[in-house]
Amino acid sequence: MNPIATITGPIVPVLLYNDECAICRRLGSWVQASALGASGQPSLIARPIGEDPQALRALNPQLDIWDAYAHIHVLMPDGAMKIDGEAVAEVLRDLPNTHWFAWCFSIGIFGFRPCQAVLNVCYLILADVRPLLGCESCGSPSFWVRPFVTMIAWVKRRFTRVPPPDLTVHSTSFPVGTAHAAPPSAH
Amino acid sequence: MKHTPPEPAHDIDQIATVTGSGFNAEVLQADGPIAVEFMTYGCPHCKAIEPVLQRVAEMVKSKERIFRVNVAVEQELANNFDIKFTPTMVMFLDGREVGRVNGLSPTVASVLTAVTHPFQALP
Repeated sequence: MNPIATITGPIVPVLLYNDECAICRRLGSWVQASALGASGQPSLIARPIGEDPQALRALNPQLDIWDAYAHIHVLMPDGAMKIDGEAVAEVLRDLPNTHWFAWCFSIGIFGFRPCQAVLNVCYLILADVRPLLGCESCGSPSFWVRPFVTMIAWVKRRFTRVPPPDLTVHSTSFPVGTAHAAPPSAH
Repeated sequence: MKHTPPEPAHDIDQIATVTGSGFNAEVLQADGPIAVEFMTYGCPHCKAIEPVLQRVAEMVKSKERIFRVNVAVEQELANNFDIKFTPTMVMFLDGREVGRVNGLSPTVASVLTAVTHPFQALP
C-alpha cells in the first residue's frame, strides 16, 4: 500500500502531479526524493492525482479532479491551494536544495513580483510543450506548439523507424491495453 | 499568494461512474437506452466535454441514462470495447451496442445528437 495514500490531514505541503504524464512523473519522483531533509522527514509530499475524485475532495473540499489534471496544484497545510507558477515557487521554497534561491520569488516592487512573473511564464511554456517532451497523455498541443510537433514527427519518420505519437486534434490518444494485455472479447 | 480554483467543483454529478464489476448489471443487462462515456480525468478533451455532457445528461435523464467509465482504471473494459481514444461515447440499447462516437465537439447540439441519434435511427 502506498503510504502517501493514507494521508488524511497533511502537515507538510502536498504536490499533486499527473502520473499519466511521463514528464510530470519524473518531476514528481525528483521532488519526492529531493524533499527528504537531513532529519529524514520530508518537507513536502509528492503524490499522484489518481483517479478518485472523492479521495481528492478528502484532501481539500475545493479540489476538483479535472482542475488537478489541468494545472499543477500544491495543497498547503492551512487548507489553501497554490496553482501553476505559484505552486512551482512553493515547491522550490520547500525543497532543501532549492530553497536558498526561492526567496527571490517573494520579492515585490509595488506589488509586482518580477521573478514570480518570469516563473509563471516559464511554467506556462513548459505546460504547453509537454507533448514535445514525450508526454503521451497531454492531449492536443497548443496551436503555437503544433508546427514543432509536425517537425519532430517528420524528423522521427526520416531518421528512425519509430512511428511518431498520434496527436490527433479532436481526441486524446490513450495507450489502452499496453500494460494489461487482455484479449479483446466479442461485443 | 493563495489561490482558489477558478470554477467551483461540480456539486451534482448527473453521470454515474460505472466500474468493471458493475458494468454487466448496470449497462449490458439493463433495459432501455444507455450511453457510456469512456474517459480519463487526465484527458483535456474529456474535461472540455464534461460540463456539456452534464447538461445533456440532465436534459435526457427521463429517457436515457449516461454513465462514465474511467479507462485509466478500467483497462479491461476499454480493451473489451476496443477503446482507442478518449472520450469515446458508446451507446447501448438493451445490452447491445448500437453506436459509438469519438472526437465529439464540446457543444450541447453535438453531444445531444451523439447520445440520442443512434436510438432514433433504430426501427
